[in-house]
Amino acid sequence: MSKAEENADLAALAEIDRLVHEPARLAVMALLYVVDSADFIFLMNQTGLTWGNLSAHMAKLEGVGYIEVKKAFKGKRPNTTLRLTDKGRLAFLKYALHMKHVFGDFHG
Amino acid sequence: MNTQLNLKELERKAFLTTYQDGLWDLLFGLIVICMSVSFYRPASGYSPLNIVMFSCSMVLANVLFWAGKMFITLPRMGQVKFGARRRKRVLTMIIVLSVVVLVQVALFSFQLAAWANPELGAKLNESLPKSDAIGLLIVASISALMVGPSIILVAYFIDFQRGYSIAIMMALAVFLMVYLNRPIYPIIIGILIALPGVVLLVRFLQKYPLRREEASHE
Repeated sequence: MSKAEENADLAALAEIDRLVHEPARLAVMALLYVVDSADFIFLMNQTGLTWGNLSAHMAKLEGVGYIEVKKAFKGKRPNTTLRLTDKGRLAFLKYALHMKHVFGDFHG
Repeated sequence: MNTQLNLKELERKAFLTTYQDGLWDLLFGLIVICMSVSFYRPASGYSPLNIVMFSCSMVLANVLFWAGKMFITLPRMGQVKFGARRRKRVLTMIIVLSVVVLVQVALFSFQLAAWANPELGAKLNESLPKSDAIGLLIVASISALMVGPSIILVAYFIDFQRGYSIAIMMALAVFLMVYLNRPIYPIIIGILIALPGVVLLVRFLQKYPLRREEASHE
């Protein structure tokens, strides 16, 4: 295999969306991909992330427009609802297909 | 170890966590106990008081269930809205159950008409076996069949696995209520249905404590 071909293979890895690739964010996006919307507490319980951690990841995903965050009050309690945007849905799908393509014929 | 990310399984797992609070078991258990009041035929004769007590206790059971969901489950476990597939299943369940309820109402109306019209009642009695025991057995079986399959349908559409065993126990409770006319049996069955719910609720409260971080938006 020529050096150019080797570089082309590795270039496929460089194209991976790093925002989605991070395990905690991937977990959040995978969950939001399969549900319509979920609130902060539900995501914390499902992913096992701490409040601060989830909050930081949520800010990053919201920053690039992958998720939509709605803050409201339920009675006297604040409630934050998260939903995957169309852009986020597409990014997650692209990421999944890309990873499948990269490791398509990998047999260890 | 399965390292594949199975999205369908992920959704199902998230959905099943909504049953961890045991409130559905408690509701079905309470419904059976309420029904024992409704189906009991006192020696003095069946009175409208049975229906009034049944209606009141059913309303109370449902209020307790929704209050539990609102004040115990949601603040601890959070809220989630599932996708179109789940909503479609619930809609299908509503349509199927509406048909079932219509059939049940039609049967009940027929029974009321037989009470109100002695001629029709006499004809209906003629069609039943002469033996009281066999007649009661038929009525008890029909009553059990009205309840059991409905709950099985609910369990199927809401993906509630324990619902199948609850449906069988409820059908048995109704059968015993009508056939033996002793409320103690359905009450025991109601308690047996509710008991796992109590255990699950205690576990749920331990597993999901109230979170203080929610004092402000993150």
